[in-house]
Amino acid sequence: MLSSEYRVVVGPEGYLAPAAASMGIVLPEPGEGLIEGVIVPEREAMHKIAEKLLTAKNPTFFPGPLVLWAWNDKAIAKAQAVKALAEAVGAHIIPMPDYRPKYPMINPQIEINPNHPNLTIWHNDIDVCVFVGVHCHYANLALKIIRGGTDCYTIALCGEFGHEDAMITLRDVNTAKLCTLLEVIEEAKIEVGVR
Amino acid sequence: MKKGITTISPAFEDIMPEEYRQLVAEGPFGKDLGLGDLGTFKELIEEHPLCAGCGLALGIRLIIASLPAPENTIVVGTTGCSAILFPQLAMHNIHSLFGNQSAIATGLSRALRLRYPDQPKDVVVIAGDGGIGDIGFSFTMQAWFRNEKFTTIMLDNEGYSNTGGQESGMTRQGIALNMAPTGKKYPKLPMVELAKTAGCAYVAAVNPSLARRLGKMVRRAVLVAREIGSTYIQVMVPCPTNYKFSPSETLKQAKALNPQPIEYISAEAEQLLKEAEK
Amino acid sequence: MVERKIVDPEYLLHKAPREKKFLIGNEAVAEAVRRANIDIVVAYPITPQSEATHIVGDLYAQGYIKDYYRGEDEFAVMSAIAGASMGGARTFTATSGPGTLRAFEMFPTWAGARLPVVCAFMCRGVNSPLSIQPDNIEIGWLMDTGMLIFHAEDPQDFFDMTLIAYLVAEQPDVHLPVGVCVDGFFVTHTREIVELPPENEIFPPYNPHLSPVPIMDMETPPIRQMRDPFVMKSNYISYNTHASWQQEVRAASIRARKHITRYLGSAVEVTYPEANILLIASGTAAAQARVAMEQARQEGVDVGLVKIKVLRPFPEAEIIELAQSPERIIVPEHNITGWLAREIKSRIKDSGKVEGGPRVFGGMTMPPKIIFDKIKQNGRMM
Repeated sequence: MLSSEYRVVVGPEGYLAPAAASMGIVLPEPGEGLIEGVIVPEREAMHKIAEKLLTAKNPTFFPGPLVLWAWNDKAIAKAQAVKALAEAVGAHIIPMPDYRPKYPMINPQIEINPNHPNLTIWHNDIDVCVFVGVHCHYANLALKIIRGGTDCYTIALCGEFGHEDAMITLRDVNTAKLCTLLEVIEEAKIEVGVR
Repeated sequence: MKKGITTISPAFEDIMPEEYRQLVAEGPFGKDLGLGDLGTFKELIEEHPLCAGCGLALGIRLIIASLPAPENTIVVGTTGCSAILFPQLAMHNIHSLFGNQSAIATGLSRALRLRYPDQPKDVVVIAGDGGIGDIGFSFTMQAWFRNEKFTTIMLDNEGYSNTGGQESGMTRQGIALNMAPTGKKYPKLPMVELAKTAGCAYVAAVNPSLARRLGKMVRRAVLVAREIGSTYIQVMVPCPTNYKFSPSETLKQAKALNPQPIEYISAEAEQLLKEAEK
Repeated sequence: MVERKIVDPEYLLHKAPREKKFLIGNEAVAEAVRRANIDIVVAYPITPQSEATHIVGDLYAQGYIKDYYRGEDEFAVMSAIAGASMGGARTFTATSGPGTLRAFEMFPTWAGARLPVVCAFMCRGVNSPLSIQPDNIEIGWLMDTGMLIFHAEDPQDFFDMTLIAYLVAEQPDVHLPVGVCVDGFFVTHTREIVELPPENEIFPPYNPHLSPVPIMDMETPPIRQMRDPFVMKSNYISYNTHASWQQEVRAASIRARKHITRYLGSAVEVTYPEANILLIASGTAAAQARVAMEQARQEGVDVGLVKIKVLRPFPEAEIIELAQSPERIIVPEHNITGWLAREIKSRIKDSGKVEGGPRVFGGMTMPPKIIFDKIKQNGRMM
């Protein structure tokens, strides 16, 4: 496959999925997002996120340490916004409290770990997941493993520059942007008749 | 440490696993707890995969519980059995490479002094006898010569346990282990004497059966390192797996090998501790 | 110390007025350090690097750098730099040849730990036998560590690339170490005109909160955090984690391309790209190749030059494109292994058109004439 034809789509992609960056996928600029490796206007990515979450069987949010811990006012507010989003789409929330390898002691029912995220996804049969508040290195580590070994659709709401290894990503995500996404989701719910 | 770092975001209080909620509610951060309080608070080591009867695991448990300010302490370790336990430690800690811990700690403690001039950040090296006495010997000594302001604690199990039981410099003369098939040819390294010679302001050696004594030593070593300079503690932590004794005999072995605690305090450190322990 | 002013990095690099100075490379890199707002420098003597960190030591004494000391050897220096960087400090150090090799275990460790360290490599020969003279064999080894590698041609490049290195290294999507390499003596000890922005204008401080991995200060969540844990249980999960981690380090290097373009312009500098014979070189070999090219063109030979400024991430697309039209490609190098020829041959379709060489090493200079002769030999073959 030519690298320019590579798309970041639902797996299982294979024994060892490549980093999307090494297949030619580039991160979005401010105001843009990525859908399956293609750069799109941010709004379009938000609509796609709404569609994916609202049509999922078991959507699940994976909040990471940057929002799980109340280390500053922004984190506390962002955590509230994440929770509101999850509630709006009827998603479960499974935390990623830290990044240490926890295998084999992990309880995949109630937590996820970036070194073996597939265990939590398989155990709970999660078909769409959202990463938020995870340090970028660990998010990418996990997103590749998920694409390689599971059929879970991945969404990354990144506070920095975004994640090529997710199927949809937004960048510069702060509380305000989460609120905009919530509005998009609420509109989409009306459109598709979800109550 | 900012208080909120160990507070769960209100939005997520209900979904955090039990071990984290316990850490928040019953952890030792900011509470000035010590060894005597063990059993009354949630310890910072969640679980570990070390062997039954591991002296080193006991040593680390006592050391961590004795730190005067765990909420502002960063641990630097190195390769070895301890590095299998440290990922489970609820404190910032660094495993870099085998032997470079004192160099890592030098850079780290200097960086933290620059970034937090008004908030003491304690750096504590906790490493094995091979890591400190052999492969990291030069970095250990040089950090002491420079009088770097961090504490070095050796977990002395007299050999390389994690790699399958080889002789180390801290192995006693005559003992046959892997890589010393006919017995070790030279005596145990005099690390306590070397620490004094190198200028450490506080030097101690102890076995973990004297838990209260060990706890006091850790506290003293960290306080002296914070204000004055390098400090060193050597803790005898025998290895039942490598030395082939029963896991129930660990403390007996430790007492036999290091019956008499040693404590050296420089005049300057003496003065400081007198004030601190008033 | 003069009163200093924090300015926008892009202004400092591209817009600030520049004054001409007559500097050797070691002075030029120190001028970059002066403006980079660095927290900690750790130094260890080795020729031909030492002079640069002497001058940086003077900058520390004058208050331009917050902490500075001489380490005990290069492995310790690179380790201390890692500790400082994990603690959230901006760092600088430098070494040469044997020092690079002594410290080598740290370079993939820096990359794996996502440390935005900048290290200058003043390349020299490695033993045995001992040589302190120019030879850049070490770059070939550094290229597989996961670090970004820049190769400066002259003191001006050395100044600009060192400053740019911090800007690229500290991007949240990159956050990798950068090695800024120069050929020892030919650059470090050669005096040339260097254009410098004002000495009182400096970069903003490093912001550790943009790091893609937690800073080790007990002020960043999560508190239960080891850098970097053993991932070595004997099972597929552990192997897969390590593999994904390595991939992410390489991915971060690829992401650096965008930032390199923004700050450095391009990873390659091309003269006469349509020529029949193309010289491709980096460092001082590019300078000598330029002289040879001009001589050859005066004699009517159709020859061009590609100077590669960035070796990691390798400018793959550019080289594949540029390699299409010429009939012959000549790669002069200052080392015996021919790492640049290897890089090029492994990427282009028709590697048979690449002539690796001329190569000089062990301290020998590269007279433009030997490149000129090579051009003429290849010219006759057409």
